[in-house]
Amino acid sequence: MSRMTQPEAVRTLMSSDSNPPRSTAIGAARHRLSQWSAAAALVLAAQTGFAATPGVDAPPLPQPPRPVVVPAFAQQQLPNGLTVVAAPRHDTPVVTISLLVRAGPELDPNGRSGTAAMTAGLLTKGARRGKRQVSATELAQQAEALGGTLDAATGWRSSTVTMTVTRPKLAAAAALLADVVRQPSLAADELERARAQSLDGLRVTMGDPGAVAGMAARRVYWGDSAYGNVATLQSIKRISRADVQAFHAAVYRPERAVLVLAGDIEPAQAQALARQLFGSWRGTGKAQPPAQPAAAKPLAEALALIDMPGSGQSGVVVAVPFVAANAADRRAGQVANAVLGGGYSARLNQEVRIKRGLSYGAFSEAETHPGIGIAVASTQTNHPNASQVLQLMRGEVERMAAAPPAADELAARQATLIGSFARRLETTGGLASLVIAQLTQGRPLEDLRRTVDEISAVTPEQVQGFARQHWQAAGLRGVIAGDLKAAGDGVASLPGPLLRVPVESLDLAQPNLGAK
Amino acid sequence: MHPRLNRRHTLGLTLALAPTLAGFNLPAWAATPAATAAGKTRGSQGLSLPPMPLRERRLGNGLQVISVADRASATVSVQVWYRVGGKDDPAGRSGFAHLFEHMMFKSTKNMPNEMFDRLTEDVGGNNNAFTAEDMTAYQNEVPSNHLERLLWAEAERLANLNIDQANFDSERSVVQEELRQRVLADPYGRLFNALSVENFSLHPYRRPVVGSIEDLNAATLDDVRSFHRTYYRPDNAVLIVVGDFDPAQLDAWVDRYFGPLVTPGVGIPRVNVVEPERASDRRVALQGPNVPLPAVAVLWQGPKAAHPDAAALQVASALLSAGESSRLNEALVYRAQAAQAAAFAAELYADGGMLAAYAIAASGQPLAKIEAALLAEIQRLANGPIGAAELDKVRTQLLTSALVTRQTPQGKAGAIGRAVLLRGDAKDVNEELARLSAVSAADVQRVLKQMLKGKRVTVQYTQAPGAASPVASQATPTSAGAPAVAASGAKP
Repeated sequence: MSRMTQPEAVRTLMSSDSNPPRSTAIGAARHRLSQWSAAAALVLAAQTGFAATPGVDAPPLPQPPRPVVVPAFAQQQLPNGLTVVAAPRHDTPVVTISLLVRAGPELDPNGRSGTAAMTAGLLTKGARRGKRQVSATELAQQAEALGGTLDAATGWRSSTVTMTVTRPKLAAAAALLADVVRQPSLAADELERARAQSLDGLRVTMGDPGAVAGMAARRVYWGDSAYGNVATLQSIKRISRADVQAFHAAVYRPERAVLVLAGDIEPAQAQALARQLFGSWRGTGKAQPPAQPAAAKPLAEALALIDMPGSGQSGVVVAVPFVAANAADRRAGQVANAVLGGGYSARLNQEVRIKRGLSYGAFSEAETHPGIGIAVASTQTNHPNASQVLQLMRGEVERMAAAPPAADELAARQATLIGSFARRLETTGGLASLVIAQLTQGRPLEDLRRTVDEISAVTPEQVQGFARQHWQAAGLRGVIAGDLKAAGDGVASLPGPLLRVPVESLDLAQPNLGAK
Repeated sequence: MHPRLNRRHTLGLTLALAPTLAGFNLPAWAATPAATAAGKTRGSQGLSLPPMPLRERRLGNGLQVISVADRASATVSVQVWYRVGGKDDPAGRSGFAHLFEHMMFKSTKNMPNEMFDRLTEDVGGNNNAFTAEDMTAYQNEVPSNHLERLLWAEAERLANLNIDQANFDSERSVVQEELRQRVLADPYGRLFNALSVENFSLHPYRRPVVGSIEDLNAATLDDVRSFHRTYYRPDNAVLIVVGDFDPAQLDAWVDRYFGPLVTPGVGIPRVNVVEPERASDRRVALQGPNVPLPAVAVLWQGPKAAHPDAAALQVASALLSAGESSRLNEALVYRAQAAQAAAFAAELYADGGMLAAYAIAASGQPLAKIEAALLAEIQRLANGPIGAAELDKVRTQLLTSALVTRQTPQGKAGAIGRAVLLRGDAKDVNEELARLSAVSAADVQRVLKQMLKGKRVTVQYTQAPGAASPVASQATPTSAGAPAVAASGAKP
């Protein structure tokens, strides 16, 4: 692998002339990839007199586009406060049904990280159905006999239970879902079983350098605020049945919930089903207030190194500030993230994988919270390349502020965002997840109709402006998790100050990761 | 079970710890249309899988073209499946077919590097590719107004691929990082990579499709040229187009861009190695530097994908490990709490198969107990009662999974590709579900009893003492009672 660290080889790969084109389309092909687009190539070829003939030695021209059609969403509220959303799509006799409760790990009790996830997981492990307590085994049998699975999941401000079934099974699936959400057993023996499984799952995860780097970056960036919350072996061991019961009572309440039905169903049918199964649902006891906006409290050191001797690769992560879902510059931020690392051809993957072969892939993802956000760039690489990759990723973040993206680069990344949005509209699961993401963010569903136009309207200057405001070098935090001995001099010579933690003493509950 | 090797990382291809339907592809193999006569999709209240209106053509140069028009969609899927896979890796070049797949995204006579990303991702589409034991598939999905451009580009890289050292070196590095990520960094990557090594004694399936660092380093530009010349030709390819298009217009474009491609006069070399029947049981102790929970896999020889027993094995696989209520999850993970995950997979390839039961231990649970429990559950399915409701559940799961997958042009095209390449006929996409639904309890028990009569390889995967160098070696297998099989080298 030594060739990857040889600057000469790297330069060769970066050179625009490394790949002498043989066709008459050379006028375009000589340009750097980031400045290339098919349409631009044709225009350029025509202007410069090269005889590129569409359909012969250049791609044929595209036909006129079909517009993205966003289906009509029907949103209503039951008297008990439950929001019901129907997203009809009739071309396949399939429906995705999902119940969202707008509460997640940000509300985990102090020291008991994992409570929200444990609660969601236990919903499907026993519930009262009619007059009978139904076991986990029987619930799984009932769900799977309907052709789907009861999938419980949690994310920031979100706990969901979801099933996808054929249309004839919908009523039975909805009834099952209502019972597990409204009257789960949350039994002590099931908690112990789930705890043992979570602990084992976490032991496996802690051997994965990419996952370790990601979790550590979260803590390094947020410090002890709510969004730094990472479940650990210790916190999972502390969760009691009372914690789970209290969490369920405080947040699984109709006014906090959204029922989504996407697919082969009419809005009136969705409403009727919701009234029948959830109309009598009432919260009991005191409702949990929504989480207060949290602030990032980044670690003083700009870099944390986690030593994982024997790990197969190094995980490399750079965390950077982002904005809230309702911020005025949210679309500029979304597009800026897309330019940075939102896709195969975005800058991170261009620099790390495509030009230098240093990784199987490098990407960034943005997440938004009330009043604040974070974007995380991550990749995995061979240990000796870890420091180079970290510097490359930091450099790409900083380059976003230095200059606006070229018009064709921006147009390509906007198209990527729009295309991925449009593809989600094509499946019942995609539709349901779009609705849930909107409502979790506190955004109106009407936003979905404006998505294409708003993304298209973002200018190069707005992208640069966003980066200048939010992506200054001082705000970046990096993590490398890997075999530091195998990483060698590169990592040892990274500019300090830095934090160094052996994986056996890593404590993800501490803002300093347990460093001595 | 083998993660498919994709050009780009996709979620869900990493080791599925939980045996749910999410990781459960619609069975892509089976052969006899005989069983379909009885095929009714019971257990689904009369719902059935709507047949796809297939259009099939073959051009004069041998290219097979299959299309399904669906004007309701605004997208179109354009896929080219080649009959070449990991089994065709040249000698001493394990991983080559997959490395070659990456090269297909580099420049051609009329396209610069990564032009496929310009034609797909940059206009709101996407692309990916995968290499498996028997095939290499290139899959694009674009807004339908870009269909003609994709047809031109697929024909272009079939005919006019450029090959240069800088691109080759760069992609080789990417593929080696892919290997490190899948095999070395994943705590169970070494185990899953070793299964085909241990299951096949002679057939080239024994070489992992991802190859080895050493073999990848040995590959040359001449290998790339020769591989493209040998296997990338119209009569070794299947073009599949599904989604929003006008059929007459499609045919005209296909004729225009693919029609002129020339098929070489020489034949295509085919692997004709016959895997011998396994003569004895064997145990393998495999170690890795980072194995938080030990694991065990039990391997039996399986039939070819086109074997009449394939459907029954697929249903057996679903009974054993599709969903939380499946037999292995219920017994090992839930009731006994002996395993963190447990599954059974029927990996049936064109020339032979592997039937694998495997489990990752729960903390403190001895592997011997888990191995015994895996075998006991399979024997119970083979010999004990199978309720009508349980079989009905599997039929409903299969129907639902097929409907969900076929919501998109890309999903439909993928189903067609598997039908053609593994079962030899695109029409099988309209028959496979009925055939699976016709499998009876007696069918399941017959194929499992037959499997259990065969010799097995048992692989135990545990933590190596001390931390090994992660870069130099992939794993340290110590083979008991068998020729040494190096999971790291994987050279046959």
